[in-house]
Amino acid sequence: MGKLGRMQASPDRLSRRGFLMTAVGAGVMFGFPAARAAQQFPAAGLPGDGAFEPTIWCAIAPDGAISVNIIRAEMGQHIGTALARIIADEMDADWSRVKINYVDTDPKWGLMVTGGSWSVWMTWDVFRQAGAAARVALTEAGAHLLGVRPDQCTTRDGAVVAGAKSITFGDIVSRGRPSRSFTPDEMAKLPLKPAAERRLIGNGDLKALDIPAKTDGTAIYGIDAKIEGMVYARPKMPPTRYGAKIRSVDDSAARTVKGYLRHIEIDDPSGTVQGWVVAIATSYTAAIRAADLLKVDWTPGETAHIAEKDVLDHGRAQIGRKDGGVYVFNDDGVDAAFTAAASTIEREYTCASVMHYQLEPTNALAFEKDGIFEIHAGNQWQTLILPTLAKALGRPEDRIVLRTYLLGGGFGRRLNGDYMVPAALASKALGGKPVKLILTRSDDMQFDSFRSPSVQRVRVAFDKTQAITAMDYQAAAGWPTQVMASAFMSKGVDGKPYDQFAIAGGDHWYDVGAFRVRALSNDLANRTFRPGWLRSVSPGWTSWGVESVWDEIAHLHGKDAVQFRLDHLTGKGRNAGQAPDSVGGALRQAAVVRRAAEKAGWGQPLPKDTGLGIATTSGQERGMPTWIACCALVHVDRATGIVHCRKLTIVVDAGTIVDPDGARAQTEGAALWGLSMALFEGSEIVDGLPRDRNLDTYTPLRIADVPEMDIEFVASTEKPTGLGEPGTTPIAPAIGNAIFNAVGVRMRHLPVRPSDVLRALTRHDDAEST
Amino acid sequence: MTSFRLNGHEVSVDVADDTPLLWVIRDEIGLTGTKFGCGIGMCGACTVHVGGRATRSCITPVSAIQGADITTIEGLDPAGAHPVQEAWKDLQVPQCGYCQSGQIMQAASLLKDYPAPTDEDIDAVMAGSLCRCMTYIRIRDAIKKAASATRGEPSNG
Amino acid sequence: MIGRIVAAVAGIGVAGGLGFLAYAWHPAIAPIAPPASTAFSAASVEHGRVLAAGGYCAECHTRRDGHEGAPLAGDYLMATPFGAIYSSNITPDPETGIGRWSQAAFVRAMRQGVSRDGSNLFPAFPFDHFTHMTDGDIADVYAFLMTRPPVHSVKRENTVPFPLNVRLLQAGWKLLFLHPGAYRPDPAHDAQWNRGAYLAEGLSHCGACHTPRNAMGAEKAGAAYDGAPVDNWIAPPLNGTNPTPVVWTEDEFFQYLRYGVAPLHGSAAGPMSPVIHGGLSEMPESDVRAIAVYLASLDQATGRQGGDAARLAAAMRTSARDLTGPQTDPDARLYAGACAACHANTGATPVLGRPELALNNALWLSEPTNLYQVVLRGINAGEGQDGVSMPSFYHALTDADLARLAAYLRRTRTTLPPWTDLEHKAASVRATLPAPPVAASH
Repeated sequence: MGKLGRMQASPDRLSRRGFLMTAVGAGVMFGFPAARAAQQFPAAGLPGDGAFEPTIWCAIAPDGAISVNIIRAEMGQHIGTALARIIADEMDADWSRVKINYVDTDPKWGLMVTGGSWSVWMTWDVFRQAGAAARVALTEAGAHLLGVRPDQCTTRDGAVVAGAKSITFGDIVSRGRPSRSFTPDEMAKLPLKPAAERRLIGNGDLKALDIPAKTDGTAIYGIDAKIEGMVYARPKMPPTRYGAKIRSVDDSAARTVKGYLRHIEIDDPSGTVQGWVVAIATSYTAAIRAADLLKVDWTPGETAHIAEKDVLDHGRAQIGRKDGGVYVFNDDGVDAAFTAAASTIEREYTCASVMHYQLEPTNALAFEKDGIFEIHAGNQWQTLILPTLAKALGRPEDRIVLRTYLLGGGFGRRLNGDYMVPAALASKALGGKPVKLILTRSDDMQFDSFRSPSVQRVRVAFDKTQAITAMDYQAAAGWPTQVMASAFMSKGVDGKPYDQFAIAGGDHWYDVGAFRVRALSNDLANRTFRPGWLRSVSPGWTSWGVESVWDEIAHLHGKDAVQFRLDHLTGKGRNAGQAPDSVGGALRQAAVVRRAAEKAGWGQPLPKDTGLGIATTSGQERGMPTWIACCALVHVDRATGIVHCRKLTIVVDAGTIVDPDGARAQTEGAALWGLSMALFEGSEIVDGLPRDRNLDTYTPLRIADVPEMDIEFVASTEKPTGLGEPGTTPIAPAIGNAIFNAVGVRMRHLPVRPSDVLRALTRHDDAEST
Repeated sequence: MTSFRLNGHEVSVDVADDTPLLWVIRDEIGLTGTKFGCGIGMCGACTVHVGGRATRSCITPVSAIQGADITTIEGLDPAGAHPVQEAWKDLQVPQCGYCQSGQIMQAASLLKDYPAPTDEDIDAVMAGSLCRCMTYIRIRDAIKKAASATRGEPSNG
Repeated sequence: MIGRIVAAVAGIGVAGGLGFLAYAWHPAIAPIAPPASTAFSAASVEHGRVLAAGGYCAECHTRRDGHEGAPLAGDYLMATPFGAIYSSNITPDPETGIGRWSQAAFVRAMRQGVSRDGSNLFPAFPFDHFTHMTDGDIADVYAFLMTRPPVHSVKRENTVPFPLNVRLLQAGWKLLFLHPGAYRPDPAHDAQWNRGAYLAEGLSHCGACHTPRNAMGAEKAGAAYDGAPVDNWIAPPLNGTNPTPVVWTEDEFFQYLRYGVAPLHGSAAGPMSPVIHGGLSEMPESDVRAIAVYLASLDQATGRQGGDAARLAAAMRTSARDLTGPQTDPDARLYAGACAACHANTGATPVLGRPELALNNALWLSEPTNLYQVVLRGINAGEGQDGVSMPSFYHALTDADLARLAAYLRRTRTTLPPWTDLEHKAASVRATLPAPPVAASH
């Protein structure tokens, strides 16, 4: 019967709707009765009748199965498994009975977002309390059934135990019918397990529950969602991200395509998409052909001639002006320190546009059913796009449901759900008929909300003893949060809102005397494209400036780059950290620096043209630091300028590690993203759009580019912070610093291209010889 | 009308000759394990076996495989337990998983050509399979593990 | 699809006096009542079937443009520099085919290029090769054709202009270039070689594609098997000038002609595919072996083989070049991403099914034509190596991408000077495809 048969036989491997959505085609083709293919199956995580739900987060079925409700998107971090084990550990569940239920949108879940490396950190307290609630309720009911007092009972592996007597959770539910619920206050007061008694948290032997289906083709992603009667849509992309106006559409050529139905000019009240025309067809291949043949005449938006350099120059000019921007820090005495300084340095660092290139192109399936608009897609921030969809569709949010599928890559692209809007509007134009809109790769890259090019300027003041007396750090870039989620922005010390995801990392944990951090929204970037959150957001590029300048100062003053960092990571003042999220402060950062240097053999002699460079960051945000340090070993070929990264040594302190194997996997992937953005990828804006449209010219890291990697986690019982992104942050500056140590040239633009290294080497040699 | 064998089933489809095999598999037949990534044969997510050889289905016209034997990820092993699949699970290779059908099909094909692959073999043959989650370290290890298992050697990890 | 012997088309007629007219003029041979299929022995028909396959009759006598015509019913379009020529219906239909042709008329056509009605045939029909067949073989081909289902099909009118369309003038071409008569064995060689020569020079007409043609469209004397452009591809040299690093030996020829893939050279593609599949593949193995023996002798394989091991080793060393370790050269990355998964070889010899580009004609010919053709078209499961396919990069790679790839491969996988004007040539080859082989998905 083969794989299809197994899909039929073990529907619990798929979510119910996933199964329903996909089984139709395969079933019909291979002769499975249609009725059977369309049969309703209980979803994997959904408990049957009679389940006990001590909180909204989990349910215990009479047969002992435990379903955990997961509001986070599954996009490679195995987050369902990580979170489920927090709740299961606290309630002493039998892990083999735990199932995951990825939920649809509902106000009861609160903020549905998967990003910022927040998921474990945000869920840690909630799920431990929910687990404790379940344990307490089951213990009370179990004690009653066993005829003992609750305080005579313990819990273990899915059972309540009192001496020689025990009863399983399932039996407690089926026989005892527990119904206890908890108020928030009661929840907060529940006793939690000490770290030493945890069996699932930190257990490296557990396998991720989402992996088996990802090895046999049964995993269902957004692009796989199907429903009877759906039509396909593909956009004809306008010449600018914003402001393009359709003058005319000629579909006479498209009409020759078999299966072409019509085109739709998308009128979007939310302004998310502007100037879009979509081709509608009975198959996706027909939609592709038809869109290629549609002749659309547009008046382009005003940014049709903007280039990458224009955006960078605009940022430079903003930094150069006194007005504008928001102060994240603005200590007294910065200007005075520069006036009084014995010496100063000023450096500029720039980073190019970077594309998401998440492997599953953006797509969405939208239809109206029983008065509810359903949108089926992979998405990271349902709460953000719902109001936009409501505005676009002209209906209240409670008449829209988002059903989230596995994501074929998130990396921040799917925090921005803009791709759902044209799907929904196309469906609306067809009277609610199901429309599956898929962007081809070139569409997807053109429409990407890519990482903005950025300019950082760092000025540092020194006294006579070369001690740092002040630092003035400024950065200008497109602001994704301002453009897409302005209510979510932080407030500066001047009370003005700023995009923390376009400056974080600039607000580092080093002691620098009077410290100013000024964030500038590059409005030309914001107008030209939709700046995106991209894996590790700003700490993925602010580190390039901060950690490069730190090495530049050390070299200028003849200091050891590691010791120089340690000397300034003292954990004093604002860098002391606070409970529970940043206990220990900068001292924990110093510890990872020390450990990484030690592991990498810092200070030992190296062959010619080979260098070791160090960089360190606090991960994503000061509010939830993940302390990380990286030593990069590189060789530079002076003849070609090619930089070969040979080894990355990484030490991470993310507090308690809930899923050790997953933590390692995330750090491996994140670090390689860092390496990819340092040496291999990077795009540029040409005529208002990203230059690269596919892999023939866009060249992310591939398997042969992978260096040796040594990753270590600091053992800790502190509150877990994040792991999805921090691994990205120290890589580029560690490589830049290593290049300097190898051949003596300082690179200040990302990505580092061989031609740039060669040019720098030539200049350097000229300088040396004169 | 193009006829071929898909995972051992005789299949005939009535689509235009230039229709990419990928969409025939996904949309006409309904097997969605084979993925759409780049559409230009450069990411490997759409890799299937044609006559036992790894082939990018997104740029293969269906007419080109008339009479051929096609295997997709769903048909690689009846129980989903091909040595490559087992190694993938053991070493927890997939992250988002979207590229992994293609990675597995490419790796299975690699092991036929190079039963004891070196790093050089793996680099060369897997060069066309992009993993945006960058699971490459584990892909490399899992290929070697699967190779050991296939040769009947005890795995050293 | 070989029909593109096209260049041959319409050799310019040579006018002459009465003597020429006497030479040029042929009487009609009287029509006959179509013979019953029982008039031919089963053995003769079967042998004729094999011969017809080995002579690729159906390739040039079956319409392909617009729609697929009935086999052997003619109307195959040959686009020539002189105009379009459409092939004849060679099914036994009495009105539109050769149903009223006697065997004598058929033999005369094969040997002398004269139609039953006495008119001269254009040398697009390779009678200059078929003339070398034996009477018996021609009779068997006749038996096969006359027992096919008759198909009523009128071919389109040729568009060859005056005076080239004056068939009488074709006689001049024959006077110059036709050497009529059955093949005479060369006593200096053994029977196998002579069998191979008989087939290659006659029935299978290898030189029709692999020998360059002169201004009159005839195969150039003294340049036999030097290689030639054919139908927007290059038919590579089959003699000692073949540029591939490893010599085409008898065994390589045999593997290639029998199975569509030579382990040390690669797959058949383009116009060569049908020569093998449905063509030579129908012939007895011993005949294919004989052709291989003959071609290997043309190729002077024995004399040139000495350095093969070293050249093979050198080529194999380049195969995995730029594939291990990090790469920043965008062209190397293009190759790694688009091609290496199927073409990289890391061992001492290529894996069958991993055509080694460093050994392939496509990189070693004077122009990138064949490389571009294969990359743009791909190879169907029914072509080249049986049951496997190569995708079409028609939409995947731009002309600039193709040029980068060609330059990179030539630079890194051969020892020859670079090709020039690569992007323009990519566009030119692309323009020769009648339609994109695969719909775009990007």
